[in-house]
Amino acid sequence: MLRGAGAIGAASLALVPTACGSDDDDALTFFFAANPEEADARLRVVDAFQRRHPDIRVRTLLSGPDALQHVSIYCAGGKCPDVQMAWEFTYSGLAERDVLLDLNTMLAGDKAFAAELRADSVPSMYETFTYNGGQYAFPEQWSGVFLYYNKKLFAEAGVRPPPGRWSESWSFGEFLDAATVLTKRDQSGRVSQWGFVDTWAPYYSALLFGMNNGVPWSNPRMSPTHLNFDDPAFIEGIQFYADLNNKYRVAPTASESQSMSQTDQFTSGHAAMALGGHWRYQTLERANDLDFDIAVLPTGPKGHAARSNIGTTGLAIASSSPRKKQAWEFVKFATGPVGQAVIGETGLFVPALRSAVRSAGFAKAHDRISNIAVLTGGPAHSEGQPITPAWPKIVALMDRNLGPVLRGSRPATALTAELAPKIDEVLRTP
Amino acid sequence: MTVTDAHPTHLPRRRGPSKRRARFGRLFVAPNLAAVAIFMLFPLGFSLYMSLHNWDMFSPAKFVGVANYRSLFAEDPLFSIALRNTVVYTVGTVVPTVFISLAVAGVLNRNIKGIAIFRTVVFVPLAVSSVVMAVVWQFVFNTNNGLLNIVLGWIGIDPVPWLVDPKYAMASLCIVSVWRSVPFATVILLAAMQGVPENLYEAARLDGAGELRQFLSITVPLIRSAVSFVVVISIIHAFQAFDLVYVLNGRNGGPETATYVLGIMLFQHAFAFLEFGYASALAWVMFAILLVLTVVQLRLGRRRAAQEERSWA
Repeated sequence: MLRGAGAIGAASLALVPTACGSDDDDALTFFFAANPEEADARLRVVDAFQRRHPDIRVRTLLSGPDALQHVSIYCAGGKCPDVQMAWEFTYSGLAERDVLLDLNTMLAGDKAFAAELRADSVPSMYETFTYNGGQYAFPEQWSGVFLYYNKKLFAEAGVRPPPGRWSESWSFGEFLDAATVLTKRDQSGRVSQWGFVDTWAPYYSALLFGMNNGVPWSNPRMSPTHLNFDDPAFIEGIQFYADLNNKYRVAPTASESQSMSQTDQFTSGHAAMALGGHWRYQTLERANDLDFDIAVLPTGPKGHAARSNIGTTGLAIASSSPRKKQAWEFVKFATGPVGQAVIGETGLFVPALRSAVRSAGFAKAHDRISNIAVLTGGPAHSEGQPITPAWPKIVALMDRNLGPVLRGSRPATALTAELAPKIDEVLRTP
Repeated sequence: MTVTDAHPTHLPRRRGPSKRRARFGRLFVAPNLAAVAIFMLFPLGFSLYMSLHNWDMFSPAKFVGVANYRSLFAEDPLFSIALRNTVVYTVGTVVPTVFISLAVAGVLNRNIKGIAIFRTVVFVPLAVSSVVMAVVWQFVFNTNNGLLNIVLGWIGIDPVPWLVDPKYAMASLCIVSVWRSVPFATVILLAAMQGVPENLYEAARLDGAGELRQFLSITVPLIRSAVSFVVVISIIHAFQAFDLVYVLNGRNGGPETATYVLGIMLFQHAFAFLEFGYASALAWVMFAILLVLTVVQLRLGRRRAAQEERSWA
């Protein structure tokens, strides 16, 4: 009764109609999120699957701005997409609610693929989707964060380019020096070129700087009961990130990036370095007159080596799917060696499988950059982020409490007393 | 012998068409009744039922009694913040809306050449969706290149971070909300003003009353019930604010908690945290607050009307 009642409510709230006609009723539904440039490449991967499996028709469902909300409404309304893109931060909430199928049940009947996958996977990425003993998705890509830099602006300013391998680190100080030299002001004092811009979410980026000062976000990574906002080194990294715009003035504030997004500032040559993941690659590649390369993140005084984050998305199957067999074929294709090679060739993602990321096709798709080692070595030099079903509440808390720190109206040390206990409480009683 | 007795066979004949008319009446009303039952009564009853449960849309609902209400009032620090923000937003919207729309309606009530054009222009925001409005105002509030700060710059005021700084975010939200609310309030007040007899103004003019005096002593008292209606409706709309805040200030009602109103809190609990029971409890608390406010306002209005009647008598 409740599911039916919920379905009525949810159906009226659904953002996109799910049933488009009887022709599509037996098609495999595939839910994913993508920016416009990514969507083109994603459809090429779907086409490649359909060429190999002409008997399975795929209907794509493009997510709105909030993928978790979008897919929850689909599922509550009884139209759960058969195959779903799953995000490292949010999949555990769906797994806990039995929305996602434990893929171990499918692997048990497909020993050959299981062995192939085990041999070719990066363990830390594969385990990102291992929750409470179940395997709820297979990783499809590494979407960790690194630095893009404008080669021309570095050369013009006579600044040494940042390191392009994870084994070669550069310090927070060296990064700040480069950003300072590369920040240019006109005669009125207005900034005409920023040393550094951030195309990711600022509070996530702040935590990444904390992590590069030698402290993980949480310990343990899976179902943590505590995040390290009370660790002085973690806080120091967050403060360094906040100081980039408030104290050192080498990065734009929120006000200063209202007129032009930080991604656009980089693509138009008004910023020398940009923090972001591979999801920006397609956009930057299409920018005219932009000569860019990629580099590793700077390491703080208490950090040991440059690190990225295990940002990853995977593919999951809905536990309620009536087309599990077809869904399994699709997931096997997209996360297995064949599909991953196609993904590598399209340049859509950094593939999750070792064989695909080292393939000639992937290198060819990224021939515009020299430091491809940042991508190929990324998964092995990344640290995990917390996996907990309470993540949406943690994000809301961080959004509220990191705001004053990032605006410079409160020091990062305040987070220890203000944010850490609230997060602990949410993690204890989600 | 009565008339009815004289024509005993007429009664059944009259009842026939009357019954048929009643049946057709019910048939015509049925679709609307069904819509009301499905889209209003059922969700209302369902949300009341859900407010006594923990439900995440996927697992079976678990009965928790009044625990959601208790936790809302006793344990959730964000409820008081959301309530305070909602009250500030409501006052910041309703008071300026009433005064501005009174003034605008007063101006539009004049018989001057081309007034129809002005009336049309004033009513344009009524036809614009809240989302479009919020997007347009985001450009207006842009700190460095927004229209508002450019205009303020002409009079020597430094750029104000309207949507970025929590100090100004609520003020900017109220400005947009007033801009959205004024046309509707103006329509109601203008209609009421056009119903005020012209001879009262003529008599006032003969007694030497100026325009402002006529407006304050004749127009405003005679459209008091319309003003009351505008206040009640505006409070209800402001209290339920969601779409404008969501687009203008983000899904969390930011920056920080500056525009975290009850509507945003409800949406966040329902669709981000999947706590539909808690969100339903919040919806019923909002309903209760609005009900009390509306009843108090109506009673005050009736008492004032009764006092006026007594004073005239």
